[in-house]
Amino acid sequence: MKNRLLLLPIFLAIAFTNSSYQKKITAKEKTGTLKITFINTVKGNPLQLNEASYTNPFAEQYTVSKFKYYVSNIAVAFPDGILTEKESYHLIDESKPESLSFSFYASVNTYHSLLFMLGVDSIKNVSGAQTGALDPLNDMFWTWNTGYVMAKMEGNSPQSTIVNSKVEFHIGGFSGADNVLKKLKLNFPAGQALEIRESKTSEIVIEADLDKWWQDPNDLKIANNALCTTPGSLAKKIADNYSKMFSIKNITNNQN
Amino acid sequence: MKLRVIISLCSCVLVFVFLLGAGKRSSGPDYLEFKIPEGWPKPPTNIFTNNRLTEQGFQLGKKLFYDGRLSKDGNFPCASCHQQFGAFATYDHDFSHGFNNTLTIRNAPALFNLAWMTRYHWDGGINHIEVQPLAPLTAQNEMGEKIDSILRKLKKDPDYPKLFKAAFGTPEINSQRMLKALAQFTGSIVSSNSKYDKVQRGELSFTANEQKGYTLFKAKCAACHKEPLFTDNSFRNNGMAVNTFLNDYGRMRITNNKKDSLKFKVPSLRNIVLTFPYMHDGRFYSLGSAIDHYRTGIVTTQPTLDSLLLNRIAITNYEKNDLIYFLNTLTDTTMTRNPRFAQ
Repeated sequence: MKNRLLLLPIFLAIAFTNSSYQKKITAKEKTGTLKITFINTVKGNPLQLNEASYTNPFAEQYTVSKFKYYVSNIAVAFPDGILTEKESYHLIDESKPESLSFSFYASVNTYHSLLFMLGVDSIKNVSGAQTGALDPLNDMFWTWNTGYVMAKMEGNSPQSTIVNSKVEFHIGGFSGADNVLKKLKLNFPAGQALEIRESKTSEIVIEADLDKWWQDPNDLKIANNALCTTPGSLAKKIADNYSKMFSIKNITNNQN
Repeated sequence: MKLRVIISLCSCVLVFVFLLGAGKRSSGPDYLEFKIPEGWPKPPTNIFTNNRLTEQGFQLGKKLFYDGRLSKDGNFPCASCHQQFGAFATYDHDFSHGFNNTLTIRNAPALFNLAWMTRYHWDGGINHIEVQPLAPLTAQNEMGEKIDSILRKLKKDPDYPKLFKAAFGTPEINSQRMLKALAQFTGSIVSSNSKYDKVQRGELSFTANEQKGYTLFKAKCAACHKEPLFTDNSFRNNGMAVNTFLNDYGRMRITNNKKDSLKFKVPSLRNIVLTFPYMHDGRFYSLGSAIDHYRTGIVTTQPTLDSLLLNRIAITNYEKNDLIYFLNTLTDTTMTRNPRFAQ
């Protein structure tokens, strides 16, 4: 016991000097609620499944019937470190409005950026049967080559050359050369910070622009690539594009 | 003095009765220890670390394994392709039968000593025993069912909620619990009591032919079919001509790596007499023809052919007979007839 007490100041010193210090919420600490909301759009207009026809940067028309992606390891950063949501795995599914928002307790503090992973971290891809957002029932799990589909977009396009003019992107792969996992950091707009105050709710609204899937850094025409359902180089190219689809839309502090 | 003895005896009995009562009162599961056979290596990972083995979990897994309702039309329980009398492979079938008059595309692997594997299926596409059943459950040419539909059927059953409660503490039925229970059953199947094992333990001895076969086996086969599991669980190309109907390139489909073209998992040779036909596509119906493949059949022009097979394997006709005698000692009827694994 005595030895442990001696180690504590050393541990604290290391913890606080390290910029990636992972803060844990203690039982006595004052907390507020952080609500995270995703709004899926196409070029800023709310995404309409099945209804609307969109045009990509290559003048190809398409509709969207499914749009789902995993976000995990959500954290907010303060000057000394980060606060990560516990067991942080969420499936954002445009067809399920309740999936677009979630909340968790955060320490009272001022935060300047949001961090998360787009996809399910590799450890949960190799740890057997999971539940909740990671339940294979959610149709985001490959049964023939173990691993999660990190993001899924399905629809139709007259430019598609595959059966029934389908567009089908199931993007996955968590290890080695096929890894499509993206660690993302979204800085808050200049002059804005996230304030967490005791017993209040603050909200971060994130916009995901589906239009970003087609271009930058990789030009991906539907005419050439209407189908991607295995890990590999095409999946990686699509993931490089879609990793740029997120931006902070607004931050609202201290609602009741 | 006598009184003291009586008092202490009585209190001993009281304590014992109390403990017994306490044991009965708690409705928690009965924990089981996974026993590693003497002299065997420890499994590379403990598959029961996050799925603690219990009698109730094992029994639930067994009921699920034998339950046809896990398939779309009720006709294809796990056990329809994994038959205990065939060492939990499909006896006498190159491909197994699936839902709606379909065939699988590979030979059903035997299910035993799974706790020593870190990858499952001929191509190693599955990285954890718990998620393996998702493949056969949902494949259109196997059990053909959907997970939510299976869970609905289990929830309607009068017994399953009780069995899930006994195994996991509450009657909730979900995919994770179903998969963990199945892993408790299949992961518990161990084959370690063949004649070979009894010889290793000094309980029996080989005949002269078996011994000659064993010596040959150690010299020419054991590099891949490593004792005591009789596999090193690696992926290798053993030089079989590609079946141009199936065009199955094995592990390359999983890794996207050309170097893995035509590589398949080295199967265990335990219970080999029962697991015919042989190879990933069941193309050889006898041990003799499988051995002949290594003697004369290997296609040596395949770029990914295993380096140990570049010159094929020299085995005389006499040696081949001895080898077959030895392979016959790997049959473990203790496992294939064990009522604990039976329906």
